[in-house]
Amino acid sequence: MVGVGFRREFAEEMISGEHIRPDFIEFAPENWMNIGGYWKKVLHRVVEKYPVLCHGLSLSIGSPEALDKSFLQYVKTFLREYNVQIYSEHLSYSKCDNAHLYDLLPIPFRMDAVKHIAGRIQQVQDYLQRPLVMEIVSYYTPVAAEMSEVDFINEVVKQSGCQLLLDVNNIYVNAFNHQYDAKAFIQQLPLSKVAYIHMAGHEQVAPDLIIDTHGEPIIDPVYDLFEWTIQHLQPVPVLLERDFNIPEMAELQGELTRLKNICHKQWKRKDELVA
Amino acid sequence: MNLLPDTYHIQQTFSTYCRTGEKVKLPGVAPHRLKHYRQLVFNMIHDTMENAFPIAFKHIPTAKWNKMVKEFFSKHACQSYQVWKLPLEFYTYAVAHNWEDTYSIPFLNDLLAFEWAEMEVYNMEDIPAPAYSLSGNWLDTPLVLNPEHRLLSFHYPVHLVAKPKDILKNKGVYFVLLFRHPETGHVEFTDLSPWLAFLTEQLTSGITVRDILEYAPQLNITDTGTLEQDTLAFLKHMQQLHFVLGFQQ
Ligand SMILES: [Fe+2]
Repeated sequence: MVGVGFRREFAEEMISGEHIRPDFIEFAPENWMNIGGYWKKVLHRVVEKYPVLCHGLSLSIGSPEALDKSFLQYVKTFLREYNVQIYSEHLSYSKCDNAHLYDLLPIPFRMDAVKHIAGRIQQVQDYLQRPLVMEIVSYYTPVAAEMSEVDFINEVVKQSGCQLLLDVNNIYVNAFNHQYDAKAFIQQLPLSKVAYIHMAGHEQVAPDLIIDTHGEPIIDPVYDLFEWTIQHLQPVPVLLERDFNIPEMAELQGELTRLKNICHKQWKRKDELVA
Repeated sequence: MNLLPDTYHIQQTFSTYCRTGEKVKLPGVAPHRLKHYRQLVFNMIHDTMENAFPIAFKHIPTAKWNKMVKEFFSKHACQSYQVWKLPLEFYTYAVAHNWEDTYSIPFLNDLLAFEWAEMEVYNMEDIPAPAYSLSGNWLDTPLVLNPEHRLLSFHYPVHLVAKPKDILKNKGVYFVLLFRHPETGHVEFTDLSPWLAFLTEQLTSGITVRDILEYAPQLNITDTGTLEQDTLAFLKHMQQLHFVLGFQQ
């Protein structure tokens, strides 16, 4: 299953399915909750056509302060209403001092943060009655780290029982920005816990820095890393993220096809198991 | 709480930096990398406000606008987990902090209110209309209005005039009705006279046109003999625009 992030900019093309035909779509519940009018009608048309996975933005699992219960209640209702098969979120924080920041801030890689986050993931999983799939985010600087990133992730997974969203582009970006070996990093992850994959493009803004923009096509080295990675995984859904600089649908479909071919080649008969 | 005070404090320092852009020292953090977070976060907020308030953005000098967005984001704790609702917080912050005076833009509150209302009416959750029939008596049957609307009053004609100079010259009393077309979802807006604004408000509470017309003398409305006719013509026109839906059953 290879899907694409659903955006208003190409909603009609997705519904017509003429130039692009993903196996599923993904969107952020926050962008579609409590919406009526024109866009609600569009949402209903698109969810009739494609299976839906959701990728949240505002849960802020790494926040120092308490979880927002009323927000979770909306999420729960929304996931049920749209028959959402996977709810994923980010291993980061986007809210602090009771203020939302609408971006993914890096959590200090520390054992107390692990315990704190693991407890919160369990709270969310208990409340939503479904596993949380946590994405390893791209980051541009570590913050007051006391352990390695990969140990941090392993501990969070072990202590919380969550699943992982492996964004292959994020790993590529992080490996570049923090000068480590992407494959070695992936090999140390609890790969049996990977339930979902993201793929995207990025932008290099300095000789030593890549920003994870989702505004460019996927580059060849990220395809290569993807092909290498999935040989170590059970078949899971794969998503193409494109948030800015939206190209012609044929170009996006080209990326979907390329991803699909790689999945077929590496996962062969296992492929449709996840469909 | 499993989080140690030190880690808590580090997270606060990091996020405060993203909100204010004011220099901080954080262990293990390279300043030239940190600045990208401030840029990414602030650009997002700036873009959101520019998209929500295109007219205000166009009219207000860039330096002033940037200062407003900066002040808002650094001093206000954004409450909405949905970024599209954040412009409402920007507008209420402007009102609460008397920005009309601070930034010498007397029509600021009206303009922000107008632009926010357009966005809100466009996006807001569907409100089911009560059952109605298409036949009835315009004077005596209570009307059913499109519930997806907002009626606003302004001191400046921000909904009618484009240039700030002209807006300022025309200080007065204005009413504007915004509503969402039930089929297309487009937001339409109409300038209303004080009488038609009063009429609209009273119709919302289920009062008949005949009863509302009886109030006209008390409102100092000079009935030149065509008030009833003009009022009905307005309502029939609004029916064509899908604001008046029909008659109560
Ligand atoms: Fe991702």
